Amino acid sequence: MPEAPPSATVTAVRVDDEGVRARSEDEVVLDVLFDGRRIWSFWLQRDGEPSGGGYLVRWPPALRRFLDGTTRLRLVEHVSGATAFDADVRLGTGGDRIAVVNERGLPLGIDKSLRLAQTFDTRSAEHVAPLLDSIEEVLGALHTAGVEAFPAYGTLLGAVRGGRLIGHDSDADLGYVSEHSHPVDVVRESFRLQRALADMGYRITRYSGAAFKVDVVEADGSVRGLDVFGGFLAGGHLHLMGEIRTPYRRDQIFPLGRTTLEGRELPAPADTDAFLTATYGPSWRVPDPAYHFETPVSTHRRLNGWFRGTRVRRESWDRTYSRLPRTPPPIVPSPFARWVRRQERGRVTTVVDIGCGQAVDDLWLARRGVSVVGLDYALRGSDAVAALAAQEQVDLELRHLNLCELRSVLTEGARLARLPGRTVVTVRHVAEATDRVGRRHLWRACEMALRGGGRLYVEVLVGRGDDEFAAEQHLRPLPLRTVVAELEARGATVVSRRQRRVSSPGSRAGHRIGRLVVEWQR
Amino acid sequence: MAAVRDIRAGLRVRGKAAARQLGAMRAGVRSQGLEALRERVATLEDEVQECRQLQLRLAELTDVVEELLLPVAQRDEERLGALLETYSRGL
Repeated sequence: MPEAPPSATVTAVRVDDEGVRARSEDEVVLDVLFDGRRIWSFWLQRDGEPSGGGYLVRWPPALRRFLDGTTRLRLVEHVSGATAFDADVRLGTGGDRIAVVNERGLPLGIDKSLRLAQTFDTRSAEHVAPLLDSIEEVLGALHTAGVEAFPAYGTLLGAVRGGRLIGHDSDADLGYVSEHSHPVDVVRESFRLQRALADMGYRITRYSGAAFKVDVVEADGSVRGLDVFGGFLAGGHLHLMGEIRTPYRRDQIFPLGRTTLEGRELPAPADTDAFLTATYGPSWRVPDPAYHFETPVSTHRRLNGWFRGTRVRRESWDRTYSRLPRTPPPIVPSPFARWVRRQERGRVTTVVDIGCGQAVDDLWLARRGVSVVGLDYALRGSDAVAALAAQEQVDLELRHLNLCELRSVLTEGARLARLPGRTVVTVRHVAEATDRVGRRHLWRACEMALRGGGRLYVEVLVGRGDDEFAAEQHLRPLPLRTVVAELEARGATVVSRRQRRVSSPGSRAGHRIGRLVVEWQR
Repeated sequence: MAAVRDIRAGLRVRGKAAARQLGAMRAGVRSQGLEALRERVATLEDEVQECRQLQLRLAELTDVVEELLLPVAQRDEERLGALLETYSRGL
C-alpha cells in the first residue's frame, strides 16, 4: 500500500478527551481511524467550534463510553487520502487498546446520524451477501405488491458511484415513485403495500403515511430492517420521503433502468444523475461520509403535513425499552392498579389497559382472574411479561395500538366494543405522553370500548414536582381540567376526580397526579 | 424684529419636532403593519399545515371503511370479527 501523503491543508492537530482540534483555511471532511479502522468522520468547520485559532470537534456522545485507553489514531482527509495526524494517543485513564465493538465483539463505527452502527466498511463480501439477498427479496415483494421499487439514498449512491455499498453507511434504503399524484392516494397505496407484505409474512414497522420498515430474517436468524420510502410526482415536482422535493420529470424515473450493486443487477431510476442530484445535490460524486441533509423548511413542512405525525415520542420509548433486561420486571402493581381493583370489587370481566408499557399491572390483574388486554404502540416493552404470561397461561393478551394512527384506533375500538361482559378501560400516564391528536384518538378509543357500559379510570401527571418521574416516563404534565374538558366534549360524565401529591419510593421527592373515574351514561 | 426672528426660530424647531414625530408615527404604523402581516402569515401557514394533515386522516378513514364496510353491509358477523383481527395485524 502506498504511503499516504501528508496533509498540506490541515495543521495543528491535537487529540484529547474533549475531541479533535485542528486548523484549516478551507472546509475539509476528515476521517478518524483507530488502529487503522475508520470510526468517525466529520466536517471540520461545520461540525467544529472555533477554538485557539482553529476548530474543536467534540467526540460524538455515542462514542464517549469507548474512549478510555490507547489507540493509534490517524486523521485522514477523506477525499484526498492525505494524513493530517498519525500518532499513538491515550484517552481517559485506561491502559488497554480502545475497542469500538458491540457486545458480540463486532466492529462499530459512527454513521452519518452520529449513531453507532455496523458500517459496511467493517464487513466482508460474505457478510453483506445476506443484505443484498434481502434487498432483492423486498424489491421482488414490492413488485408483486404492485410498485416498481429501486435502491434509494445511500444505497443507490454507492451503486452508481462505484458499484459498492458505501463504507460509512450501515443500512439499505429502497424507494418507489407512485403512479398516484395525490397524497391521500399515496398513503392509501402505502397501507395496501403494507398489508400485502404482511400477508407475505413480513413484519412491518410504519414510520409515516408513506414510509415503513420491512424486517427480513436472514439465514443466521438475525433480523435486518430495510427502509422503504414512498414518493410521487405532482405539480412538476418529485416528492420522496423523507427529504426530497424537487422539480422533476416523469421520464427521469420511468421506465426504470438498471444499476449494479456488489455484482448484482438491480433496478434504478431512469436518470440516476438527476435522481442523485435531487437527493444529494450536484456534488453527489464527491464522497462525504459526514453528509447532512439540508432539506428546505418548505419541503419538511409539506412532508410533515401530508405524511408524518404517527410516531409521537416513539423513539424515546424504543430507546428506553432497548435498555431493559430480558428478564421480566418484578410484578409489583402500581397504586393505580390496586385502586382500580378496589373500585371494581370483582365486578369487572375485562380490563383494557391502554398504554400498557411493560404490562406489569396487566399481569398482576390477570393473575387475579381478570381477563386483560394490554395495548401499546411500543410493544417491545412488554415482551418479557408476555413470555411470562404465556408460561403461566393467564388470560392476558398484548396487542398493538398506535394512538397517532386513526385506523389503528378505529379498528381496535371496534374490537374492544365487541368484548362481552363489563369492560373497564385504564389509562395511566398516557394522556400526557401523547399529543393533542393522540389524546383525541385516545378518548375516541375509550368511548368505543365502553359503548356498552363500563368505566374508564384515568391517571395523569398534573405537576412535575421535584423527582425524575416526568423525565423517566417521557411525560409533560397536563392540567386535569383539560382532560375533563376533552372527555366531556366527547359526551363523557366524570364520576369522580381528585388530585394529590405522591412520593417516589424511598424518597421525599415527588410529583402531583390527578385521577378520574369516567362513564358514558346513555 | 428680534421677537419675529425668535418666533420664526421657535416655529422651525417645533416644525422639525412635529415632522420627526410624524415620521416616527408613520414608521411605527409601518412596523406595526409588518408585524401584523407576519402574524397573519404564521397563522396562514398553520392553517395550511392543518389542511395538509387531513390527507393522512382521510386516507386512514377511507382505508378502514373500504376494508371493513363490505362485511358490515353483508351482515357477515363471523367474517367481520375475523377481518377486524387481520386488519389490525396488517397495521
